[in-house]
Amino acid sequence: MKRVKVASALMVAAVSSIVWAATAASPVNLITPAGTFPVRVVEENAQPFFSAEDLIKGLGGTVAGTAPAYSATIGSVEGAFGTDSKLTIVSDTMVELASAPIVVDGTPFLPLQFFQAISRPALRQTLSFTAADRTLRLQPIANEPIAPKISVVNLQGMSKVVIQLAAAADYSIAKDAATYTIRFKAPVQAPFAEQGYDDPHVARVLFLGSDLKIQLTAPDVAGSAYRLDNPFRIVLDLQKGVAPIQEGLVAPPRSEQPRDLPGIRTIVIDPGHGGKDVGATGPNGLFEKDATLAIAQKLSPMLSRKLNVRVILTRTDDSAVSLDERTSIGNQYKGDLFLSIHLNAAKTRGARGSETYFLSLEASDELARKAAERENQQVAGPAAAAASSDLRLILWDLAQQDYLKESSHLAEVVQVEMDRASGLQNRGVKQAPFKVLVGATMPAALVEVCFISNEEDELKLRSQEFQTAIAATLASAIERYKKEYDARNGLGAPAAPVAAKAAPVVAPPVVTPVTQ
Amino acid sequence: MRVLCLMLSAVCVLASCRGRETPQLTTTAVNRVSVRSVNLFFETPQLLLGPEQRNLSLPENEAGALTPVVRELIRGSVNAAVPRSFPPDSIVRATYLMANGTAVVDLGGATLVNGWSAGSHEELIATFSIVQTLTANFPSIKRVRILVNGQAAETLAGHVAIDRSLSPLPSLLANP
Repeated sequence: MKRVKVASALMVAAVSSIVWAATAASPVNLITPAGTFPVRVVEENAQPFFSAEDLIKGLGGTVAGTAPAYSATIGSVEGAFGTDSKLTIVSDTMVELASAPIVVDGTPFLPLQFFQAISRPALRQTLSFTAADRTLRLQPIANEPIAPKISVVNLQGMSKVVIQLAAAADYSIAKDAATYTIRFKAPVQAPFAEQGYDDPHVARVLFLGSDLKIQLTAPDVAGSAYRLDNPFRIVLDLQKGVAPIQEGLVAPPRSEQPRDLPGIRTIVIDPGHGGKDVGATGPNGLFEKDATLAIAQKLSPMLSRKLNVRVILTRTDDSAVSLDERTSIGNQYKGDLFLSIHLNAAKTRGARGSETYFLSLEASDELARKAAERENQQVAGPAAAAASSDLRLILWDLAQQDYLKESSHLAEVVQVEMDRASGLQNRGVKQAPFKVLVGATMPAALVEVCFISNEEDELKLRSQEFQTAIAATLASAIERYKKEYDARNGLGAPAAPVAAKAAPVVAPPVVTPVTQ
Repeated sequence: MRVLCLMLSAVCVLASCRGRETPQLTTTAVNRVSVRSVNLFFETPQLLLGPEQRNLSLPENEAGALTPVVRELIRGSVNAAVPRSFPPDSIVRATYLMANGTAVVDLGGATLVNGWSAGSHEELIATFSIVQTLTANFPSIKRVRILVNGQAAETLAGHVAIDRSLSPLPSLLANP
């Protein structure tokens, strides 16, 4: 038996030597603007593997680590690879290689794909290898064509034109009489030459070179334009009788601009989840999305009545609204306060109580800041657009500090009211990087009303009385926050409400793109 | 035994065929493994994250040790009373350690890929159990980035932003 084991071990060792064997080839030259560098190469199964140390160094970067795991850095772009897997990573994108990296005499060697994947974002250049002259070359990235997808949908009197792209692109927007022109800086691969729409505001969309032209039904049709990420979209909200937008900027969706006046005049209520995203499910089948919508729909008229404010719901039915769109709706409508309503769930038996969150500083990292800064830029005026990017970032940091401070107050007040009036266990005020709170340009909080995973609470959540009681508690909290906010800001007597003449409850457009 | 000898001979023949390519190099990657005590973080009865010590055989190379540690974490606590933090079909596809101290964890499994219906508490516990476990056991790791099926994702279940790297959330930690 022992002999069999030894023989098996010998066989595995022999197989390993076959798999890991590689042959040395003569070095190749890497030609860069900084000079020409020799790069060691080994071959396995006729495939070249390039020395990570030589090639990454030649590209101006560094390699760290030891077998079996390494990292590579060029500028601000990080990559990592291991000798046990064909899967490597560059920034947050997985790159699958034709073969796993190999280590020869302590040096890692990889197929060309990894170096191409890291040099592209780091150097904005493509790396190519010509076997004939054994040369690696860097070349500027070709101006790749973009392929937009267009959808036009009319919701509650507003036409929404959504132009979706595979990646962010540079563009400008201009209006001339009854036509909006979106001019891309890259060539466009048009999905169609011209297409007509049965829409009250959009007559047709056509492509002319790198221009996308949106022909309107009348010259007085205008509106707002903004960008959304993941996926990248340019959105135009169009209606009659609105001041035309300026290039790349957003006009408010309504003629009134409550945010320009002091105080809390527009409140955004976000019923969590919706559509296919049901949220958590109670032990007897209640969906979080249904209970949050029921509470929000009861809260909305209470707020309008009590505070005489404009109330925006991020959804008014069982629609799917992305997390980005929820904050975008709040920003677009110049909300002064954002409250997201959720129900909690835990596997731990007996988990109960309410808690309120505001954004953790953790979430205000550079990515979030930049994403929110982009949105902020869209709602800002021409002066802000003219300001330098650095100045905008500084202003955005300061604004975020203010928002966070106010968000903390809001969460505190909501939680105190929940504790006082709801009879639910108080789990306190907490901070977390909740996606729906990232990028809100207003004080924002997320309340976890109770645990839907608790059978008793689930039963309560089904009752109209409990839903009304929770809505009333949240309304009282917002009323108290508003009073405290006014007092802190010396706003004393409430001013005449802006939305008094308009319908008090405004249902925002819920985007349900119709792909043409 | 005779069959084994025949197989061994065949392998040696194959190896010698390969050997005709000269000069031949053989990799000398060393992957030393040793038993190490790690703290895995799971939900406590107070709905916070608390450590559970476990001895694991891990590669001495830190980056190579991440995958087995996260796999062990996702497998769940040895205490049956402690709820699993992740859906049972969750898998760890790969892990990476970037030079800037960011660990990247690529998760997979049908539930996470198709949409996990969970409350924000469950999602916070799951997300930060990985962040806490990696940062607590590997001093060079400062932040953790989570991918799903090799792709950047907004959230695991509709609440916690994972489209950025995360550092530990001390308020989620149970008092030692």
